[in-house]
Amino acid sequence: MFSTARTVLRRTVRPLSAAASAPRLHIANPSLGCSRRRLLHSSMVCRHGGIDRPEPGTGIKLTFKDSKGNDIRTVEANEGDDILSVAHEYDIDLEGACEGSVACSTCHVILQEGVYDRLPEPEDDENDMLDMAFGLTDTSRLGCQVKVTKEFDGMTVTLPAATRNMFVDGHKPSH
Amino acid sequence: MVLKLAIVGGGPSAFFVASRLQKLLPTSNFRIHVFDRLWSPHGLVRYGVAPDHPEVKNCTHIFDKAAEDPRLRFFGNVNVGDSLSPIQHTVNLPLKSIFENYSHVVFATGCTLPKRHSELPPSEHCVSALSLVHWYTQHPNSPAPPQLNKLDHVSIIGNGNVSLDVARMLLTHVDVLRKYDVPERVLEVLAESTVKHVSIVGRRGPLEAAYTPKELREMIELPEASMVPLDPELLKVPEGLKLARTQSRAIQLLNKGPKQLYGTTKKTWSLDFYRSPTGLVLPTAEDPRCHLSLGHTMVNPTTQRAEPTGETTVVPTDLVVTSLGFHGEPTASFFDPGLGHLRTLSNRVITPQGTTLRNVYASGWASTGARGVINSSMMNAYDVAQTIISDMENPPAIEEAVLNPEPPLEDIPTEVKQGIKQRNVVQYDDWKKIDDEEIRRGEVLGKERERMLWDQAKNFVGARA
Repeated sequence: MFSTARTVLRRTVRPLSAAASAPRLHIANPSLGCSRRRLLHSSMVCRHGGIDRPEPGTGIKLTFKDSKGNDIRTVEANEGDDILSVAHEYDIDLEGACEGSVACSTCHVILQEGVYDRLPEPEDDENDMLDMAFGLTDTSRLGCQVKVTKEFDGMTVTLPAATRNMFVDGHKPSH
Repeated sequence: MVLKLAIVGGGPSAFFVASRLQKLLPTSNFRIHVFDRLWSPHGLVRYGVAPDHPEVKNCTHIFDKAAEDPRLRFFGNVNVGDSLSPIQHTVNLPLKSIFENYSHVVFATGCTLPKRHSELPPSEHCVSALSLVHWYTQHPNSPAPPQLNKLDHVSIIGNGNVSLDVARMLLTHVDVLRKYDVPERVLEVLAESTVKHVSIVGRRGPLEAAYTPKELREMIELPEASMVPLDPELLKVPEGLKLARTQSRAIQLLNKGPKQLYGTTKKTWSLDFYRSPTGLVLPTAEDPRCHLSLGHTMVNPTTQRAEPTGETTVVPTDLVVTSLGFHGEPTASFFDPGLGHLRTLSNRVITPQGTTLRNVYASGWASTGARGVINSSMMNAYDVAQTIISDMENPPAIEEAVLNPEPPLEDIPTEVKQGIKQRNVVQYDDWKKIDDEEIRRGEVLGKERERMLWDQAKNFVGARA
């Protein structure tokens, strides 16, 4: 599955059985490194895996940008953290409705070409979900499937355009 | 300005609107009351998502989180509106009570009725895909189970994901389905199934089909059923036509062909493109099978519509399943018969006279019609939440006010209060107890969950109270 010589970013695939029996909200495991605040207010992050914030200045830097290219925030992550978990840890407005099980496209992000090109190709299931994403680009990925590595220190992650009024009022399908 | 919001309907759209408002409004000074006429929350996530797609249901954790917020209350088994609920045991809450008790309302009532085919009147030989979905999800509408032990050939009319969900349920070995959220009584019927072939009929071609690549891939990869090979001519893309990404991926999948070679499996399926039903002859004493007439069609390249070629094929079949999409309930207030759902403009509900109502919104399929996957519902819901907030900040010039601008924040409508007293209303805490119990009962059986019926759920919560 990961046959490329330089598998710099690896997929996080949660087995079906794990997804089906995902731990319930109230038993999120504090040992996953979630602070108490997160346990109270954002336990979904814990279920997704959660991340430990690195000591400032020691982590891999990622800059999240909005669809217009404005910086939202530069944050620090650890080698191996996936972009969705990082976004949740720092309250970036990126959803993960299926919690990283590649069953939705709510964590769609746009990467820089140089970063995208060095990643292994998305698997079929990720492509199936990207098909459903709004504002898909040539360098789109699901945030839950991209792990950060030192090689990409300083990378930017752009959130897709919010699609206001994507449904034309009164529009009827043509078939 | 007071925000006391009633959300009518407790499906994904409702909870996404609620969760977004909770996130965007850090104040404790507002309330959201979610009403569902079903006794359980989560709408299509519980009563629509195919059992073999459990990951899609992970979004209920977001809904749980929204419901844990003290600013939200959920009231299940409450039918809002002036027409009677199709489900007998619901508490009825007239729209008037909503208008008196709330400052804002969002209709998130979805599209709950199946679109019918003019040439295919419903009968025991011709059912909607929705009735099969309701059967295998144990929806309170409780349709009669299909008599799968008497069927050989099933024809599904329509090329959407619901068609493929139903086809997958019929073509997957029952032992594979046992670990999922499929009720025991449904498994019993599936275990007796004699279905050998599922034909999926579409009036247009592979480029126009509405199913998504994931669902098509699952069909292609079915371990125990093979696809009747398609005429390669059908997969030829007209020169110069630029395909959308989903189209080219669907064509690639179909070109690749099924994982199991045709002829090597007991069960088979087919995509029967460019066919439109023109009639159904029901079984007679002499002939036990149905005969489905399919008019041949071609797609007009200009209008993209299916047009008849004049030829017809008659297919012997045992059950016709219509899967042509959904519409809202015509008796609902603000329903637009032309649209098949509520009429909205920028998320605000419009009356038949064209007036915008102050603080009256619609979200999800109730507003957009039945299309899109969970993330389209989510984004639409977030947009509705944003509209509610911007309208509070900058009230638009709106002609008609129907809601109470200053309702007492904690009050709940009298009818609901009464229903709670009589133990006919399910609140979120009750639901979580039921949810846990369903999962526990499932564990005993080695499956994701074993669902309860209303009587069981009501007794269970009553016994624990």
